[in-house]
Amino acid sequence: MRLTGNFIALIVFAAAAVIYFIFNPAVTSFFPNCPFYSLTGFYCPGCGSQRAIHQLLHGNIIAASGYNVLLVLSLPVLLYAMMATVYKTVKGTYGKWDLIYKPWFPKAVLIVVLSFWLLRNLPFYPFTLLAPHN
Amino acid sequence: MDQLSQPGAPTPSTQPKNWLVESILVTIFCCLPFGIVGIIYASKVNSEWAAGRFAEAETASKEAGKWTKIGFFVGLGVLVLYLILYFIMGVALFSGAARFNN
Repeated sequence: MRLTGNFIALIVFAAAAVIYFIFNPAVTSFFPNCPFYSLTGFYCPGCGSQRAIHQLLHGNIIAASGYNVLLVLSLPVLLYAMMATVYKTVKGTYGKWDLIYKPWFPKAVLIVVLSFWLLRNLPFYPFTLLAPHN
Repeated sequence: MDQLSQPGAPTPSTQPKNWLVESILVTIFCCLPFGIVGIIYASKVNSEWAAGRFAEAETASKEAGKWTKIGFFVGLGVLVLYLILYFIMGVALFSGAARFNN
């Protein structure tokens, strides 16, 4: 049952990757806009992610950072978390791979996310660099 | 709930899942505030655990999971609704155009 769920998740993930590789959300209309941005006119921490993923899948890290630098910065953290999970599966414990479970780490993540949310909405340089742009 | 974390209660060996990675993913990909609530509870899981309050850590873990899943499924629901509306409108426009051409 669990295996079936993982298998379906993998297929959905692969299909999404293909769609985001082929179509550029910056010029294609059928990708959904951010509900938060549509309602408020302010960027959320996730705004620009779809365009950033398209650029990442084409290897353009600079362009991806222009759309959502937080997404690009989160990649090493996600990679670390994956490796920590593998380590735990093999060894039965996180051992030294326990950054995710250190008391300070989620607090730091929260501060970074909230700061990013606020700063990318400031309408003047250099904060405009954090707003989604080409 | 409180009794579980009193001194003398057996110490659980592994920290409950804090859902931090899932919360980050929801925050970055779903653009909804639920992911941020998840991150706050992830933080609570770690600090309660570090302070030896295991039952509280367990409760925070359940809350973190709940909010992360809410964020994920609300995001998924919005996406599915959007796609349904998009294709209904697409079909309507297309058939409208076809009638116009005829």
